[in-house]
Amino acid sequence: MPFAPVLHAEWIKIRTLRSLVGSLAAILVATSAFSALAAADADADGTDPLFSAFFGVSFGQIAAIAFGTTALSSEFRGGALRLTLAAVPDRRRWFAAKATAIALPVLAVGLLTGVVTLLVGKAVLGASGPSWAEGLRGAVGCGLHLTLMALFAAGLAAVLRSGVATLSVLIPFLLIVSFVIGDLSGGVADFLPDRAGQVALHSTWDGALGPWSGLAVTALWTAAALSAGAWSIHRRDA
Amino acid sequence: MTSIDIRDLTKEYGTRRAVDHLTFSVRPGRVTGFLGPNGAGKSTTMRLVLGLDRPTSGTATLGGQVYAELREPLRRVGALLDARAAHGSRTAHDHLRALAASNRIPVRRVDGILEETGLAAVARRRVNTYSLGMRQRLGIAAALLGDPEVILLDEPANGLDPEGIVWIRTLLRRLAAEGRTVLVSSHLMNETAAFADHLVILGRGRLLADTPVQDFIHARVRPQVRIRTTDAAALGDLLARHGHDASRDEDGTWTVRHAPADDLGRLMSEAGVPVLELAVQEATLEQAYLDLTAAEAEFTAQPQEA
Repeated sequence: MPFAPVLHAEWIKIRTLRSLVGSLAAILVATSAFSALAAADADADGTDPLFSAFFGVSFGQIAAIAFGTTALSSEFRGGALRLTLAAVPDRRRWFAAKATAIALPVLAVGLLTGVVTLLVGKAVLGASGPSWAEGLRGAVGCGLHLTLMALFAAGLAAVLRSGVATLSVLIPFLLIVSFVIGDLSGGVADFLPDRAGQVALHSTWDGALGPWSGLAVTALWTAAALSAGAWSIHRRDA
Repeated sequence: MTSIDIRDLTKEYGTRRAVDHLTFSVRPGRVTGFLGPNGAGKSTTMRLVLGLDRPTSGTATLGGQVYAELREPLRRVGALLDARAAHGSRTAHDHLRALAASNRIPVRRVDGILEETGLAAVARRRVNTYSLGMRQRLGIAAALLGDPEVILLDEPANGLDPEGIVWIRTLLRRLAAEGRTVLVSSHLMNETAAFADHLVILGRGRLLADTPVQDFIHARVRPQVRIRTTDAAALGDLLARHGHDASRDEDGTWTVRHAPADDLGRLMSEAGVPVLELAVQEATLEQAYLDLTAAEAEFTAQPQEA
């Protein structure tokens, strides 16, 4: 069975659910709005110029996670997955199509969000803002980080088979564990999925990970979650 | 044409055996009623045929192929398993369009099948505004979307209004007349006898009967006919003369056992005994089915494993 029709079907499913289109819009709005608020309030010195502009990504990534989770968990309601897999019995191929249909819109919206956030940040911060070079790295990093987080959530949702369960694991994890513990300790906390990816949104870093190696670490987390999800979809009765 | 062939199929969930060494075939050109009490293994069998659940042992094939090997399976096999499968926030049109895209079925077919299932007027409304009957029609539309030669429907009459029930009967008869293989599950005998040609009856995951409907009726149903007449005495003589097993009720009606209504009507007409009422006792078909499944159902009261 060829891949393109399956991807087409999954894309139709995503764009015909209002809650999913809403989550995509929320990625842009939450990231740029919270970034602008934080930038307006930032001290001229002592804060990281790039992260002052991209502070809102912490909020935008929650919308990205909601998107990835909902796109997958909608298949676990009312036997929807059975109908889906009756149409596409090749489960690995179906899961790959689903992940692609999640990744592409988040990447597009994420890159747009990066550019908008950068422009807003530079306008608000003025001279204390990031340079264009690091700003562009931040914009690309923003798009990649949001995409990886959405896929990470999708992989977890495929394992847990429930949107509520996935969000109740991920959101407290991001808001509490990562925010609080992550700020306190260096070392291991830098390797948590959202901390690692966000190094790309900083002008300077002092941990073991740089911008691209940080994104690579997040990509490893995402790959692990997607592999577990694919394995779960493949092995278990639908 | 494509048959469904089930060979020694077994499915265990933990220690519970939902399907127990099941062997039967579903042939094209007729409607096969798939009967059994709730929990008999009908839905599990359908999921195994569709490759959604993995059998513990045995095989389920469609024209010799397992479901997972089919290319664009919606064009070969259509199934209704659960009317809730359509997402409530999507329209019926979008739901079917996504399904059609996955198997490269043209979009115009979506409009065609919505028309055919009586949903054209509500196709652009969100599914969570639908009644259960409308969701059921949408599930049937999804099953028929790819114009498949094999059709599996799990309790399709669920939630349908009387008009819908007549519609589904007519539809099933037509699909079989077109030479398709049609398997329809139900837990109600009388409902199924109204449209099925052949019966496969399960109890506790085991095959209890695999027989044409007519044979089942002849073998198991002891027909009772109730007769009301103006001349009860003459009727009594007539029945006695022809050796019928008959009894006269208190209100003057006669109940005749083991005799077809057709024969009795002809007999009374020839003898000139006036007929006020000649009625077949409908409950007997359902009773025969209950008798058959009751023995299996008794196991439900006892633990299956020590």
